[in-house]
Amino acid sequence: MQSEPTAWLQVRQFSKHFGGARALSEVDLDIHRGEVHGLVGANGAGKSTLIRSLAGVITPDSGTVTIDGVETRIARPSDAEAAGLAFIHQELNLVPHFTSVQNILLGAPKAKRFGMVDWKTSRRVATEAAERIGVQFPLDRRVDELSVAERWLVMISKALARNATMIAMDEPTASLSDAESHQLFTVVRDLAADGVAILYVSHRLDEVLDLSDRITVFRDGRVTETAVRGDLDKRGLIRAIVGREVAAATRPEAKVVDRVDPIFEAKSVSRGTAVKDVSFQLYKGEVLGLGGLVGAGRTEVARLAFGADKIEGGHFELQGKAVAPNSVPLAVANGIGLVPEERRSEGLMLDKSVAYNMNIAVLESLRSIPGLPFLSSAKGRVRAQGLVDQLSIKTSSINERIGGLSGGNQQKALLARWLTPNIKVLFLDEPSRGVDIGARQEIHAAIRQLADDGIGAIVISSDVEELAVLCDRVVVLCEGVVSGEIVGDEITEQKIIELSYAHIDPQGENE
Amino acid sequence: MTPTTLAPAAAGSATAVAPGGRRRRVLMIISRYGTLIGLLGMIVAFTIKAPTTFLTLPNFLNILNQSSLTAIIAAGLTMTLVVGEFDLSIGYVASFAGLIVVGFVARDGLPVLIGIPLVLLIGAAIGTVNGFLVTKVRINAVIATLGVGTILVGLGFAYSSFPIAAGVPAEFISIALGKPILGIPNPIFIMLVVLAILWVILNKTDLGQKMQAVGGNIEAARLSGIRVDRVKMFAFATAGVCAAITGTLLSSLLGSGTLAAADGYLLDAFAAVFLGSATLRDGEFHILGTLIGVLIIAVGFNGLSIFGAPTFFQPIFKGAILVLAVGLSTLARRYSKA
Repeated sequence: MQSEPTAWLQVRQFSKHFGGARALSEVDLDIHRGEVHGLVGANGAGKSTLIRSLAGVITPDSGTVTIDGVETRIARPSDAEAAGLAFIHQELNLVPHFTSVQNILLGAPKAKRFGMVDWKTSRRVATEAAERIGVQFPLDRRVDELSVAERWLVMISKALARNATMIAMDEPTASLSDAESHQLFTVVRDLAADGVAILYVSHRLDEVLDLSDRITVFRDGRVTETAVRGDLDKRGLIRAIVGREVAAATRPEAKVVDRVDPIFEAKSVSRGTAVKDVSFQLYKGEVLGLGGLVGAGRTEVARLAFGADKIEGGHFELQGKAVAPNSVPLAVANGIGLVPEERRSEGLMLDKSVAYNMNIAVLESLRSIPGLPFLSSAKGRVRAQGLVDQLSIKTSSINERIGGLSGGNQQKALLARWLTPNIKVLFLDEPSRGVDIGARQEIHAAIRQLADDGIGAIVISSDVEELAVLCDRVVVLCEGVVSGEIVGDEITEQKIIELSYAHIDPQGENE
Repeated sequence: MTPTTLAPAAAGSATAVAPGGRRRRVLMIISRYGTLIGLLGMIVAFTIKAPTTFLTLPNFLNILNQSSLTAIIAAGLTMTLVVGEFDLSIGYVASFAGLIVVGFVARDGLPVLIGIPLVLLIGAAIGTVNGFLVTKVRINAVIATLGVGTILVGLGFAYSSFPIAAGVPAEFISIALGKPILGIPNPIFIMLVVLAILWVILNKTDLGQKMQAVGGNIEAARLSGIRVDRVKMFAFATAGVCAAITGTLLSSLLGSGTLAAADGYLLDAFAAVFLGSATLRDGEFHILGTLIGVLIIAVGFNGLSIFGAPTFFQPIFKGAILVLAVGLSTLARRYSKA
């Protein structure tokens, strides 16, 4: 390392505490121009704290940043921009009804003529930036008409229009298809070849290994490993992230499930073009997976079963009896639960406590005297504490604000919300999205436990590996139609992907 | 790569960043305890300036008595804000209720024990209409409640364009002005009972927990099986009842039913509720906070009148308090998440 030239950007001894919790501890990081620098680590390991510090969103307690040999103070986002640092977050901060050009130029210094904005020159700046990364679509289209992948390109163009020397990307492929991801990888490589530094943050380790010239691994607020390409394989990377050896993902022992009387059944369920004539059965003791691409109708089926959307055709059967859940409260009363896809916006009351968030769906059972509307705080405490222990949710107390927990623990708390004596079927939509590997395994164990306890667990996931390691049976949807069902050892990532594309393109466009 | 050469720079920047953290902490303390400090400050200042008139039991009871009506209507408003909605009709509901209750008991000769429950029921009905418009028709709460409130102004005119003062039964007057028990005027008791009930609902019942969930994250509440629309309608109905109580008490105090008598409570109630939300809990609306907010406004006004401040000063004080209150509440929410 000593022989390396001085890095373009040097972070030295960054430390940051939130309350009593250490988020960053004496972190050093070097970023060279023209490199793709992978940043990996479990949730809460410090990646986002570091990025937010560099972006000027938060101020570290101590530490320095040196850019191009000059010590630079980044106290606010404009400082970061002036220093040539650009940040693209998963949420993509674009104005939906502006065109790409408008978005690219938004907030950028514009060329002036006679004190007025010179739109012609400004436009050329935007166009040049977009052309640099090979943007094909017309820049005059409104951003809300673009695909997610195209929006990413707009964000990158926006960074380039401001002469960014470093672009940090947070989970860029989370919502992209395979083909779109590869398109983005090409852009990333080209930019690096052009002298731009890319800080690449992702949970998808294959991607990170494939793209990065160097990888920095975070654990518990510290840098635990800085590896050059080729130093680490996936296994080694996982070891560095988790701090212990993780057994390679393997399928659980095939369970012998008595597939006679389904506890839950969808019978020719339809809604518009999203869900067409979908049927499947769920048997006691098994974990059922709903696979397919984003938009294939998986979440929609769950919402229908949960009464969140109106069913237009067919019906569901719960333990042999037809149920018509036309409202969520009715579905809940019938014993159907849903852990939604969007944890923060659809699941959590972020400002409320862990206990509150766990108990909110079962308040009637926590009354002091049944029939009277008064709650027993003791019953609520006992239930919450029991679940925290049972699922080993990491929190300082059940009264802590749930917004302060890590993603994995928040997810476990949401799962816990539905663990009631009444629950019969639980839908889990993307249960391990944005969750680190350790938490993911614990969530999987909890889901398996549900099935063992006789609760029907239906897992929706875009992560084919997750379906492969977790499910006893997988029903794959494609464009609202069931394109296949696979059981036991038939369940492979390859097979799920094939079925996911079954109707779109028989020749198989995906690589 | 050698940390030692970089240590001085690191230390330098450490001292440079520290004030940001300190300022943040100070702001958090101000936003959480600022209202209480302000209340105590006012009490201390007024006591020093006017020891014989301000810090006396009669004056203290006077302040509480005057605050009672505001506290009741503001507590009702708190319920709608807890579920994340607004109610701009409460002042008009109070005026309307105050007018028709006197009409019932004085003009129509209904017994007080029938007239008052009837008016409270009407208050609940108006609130339910508000709730219906907001949840089922999906009209923005500001517009819906402003519209309903304005309609009530018209209905009040239609009911009686002049004050109803003749034939008001003594037992109606005695509700607010009856013989004090232990020297404490009736409205204070009524306020305490109303606030206690709302506090219990909000904190000790499942309905109250659901209300907080609806206000905290409506989508999450819906996906937890909570009947969001019903919960909101309940909040609006409660606000309507509380407004009707305030209106009734005001008419009892005035001894007459007068048009637009209680319209001004709207602004006081809003100021109190927002001041309260910045008290103790970070930007959350809660009953105890609302009571403290009401007391701050009442003590302020009391001080103004004791020191003989010119009349024009009152709306200035009121407006400033409202702006300050919402500002503090916003600050409290922001810094609680830092």
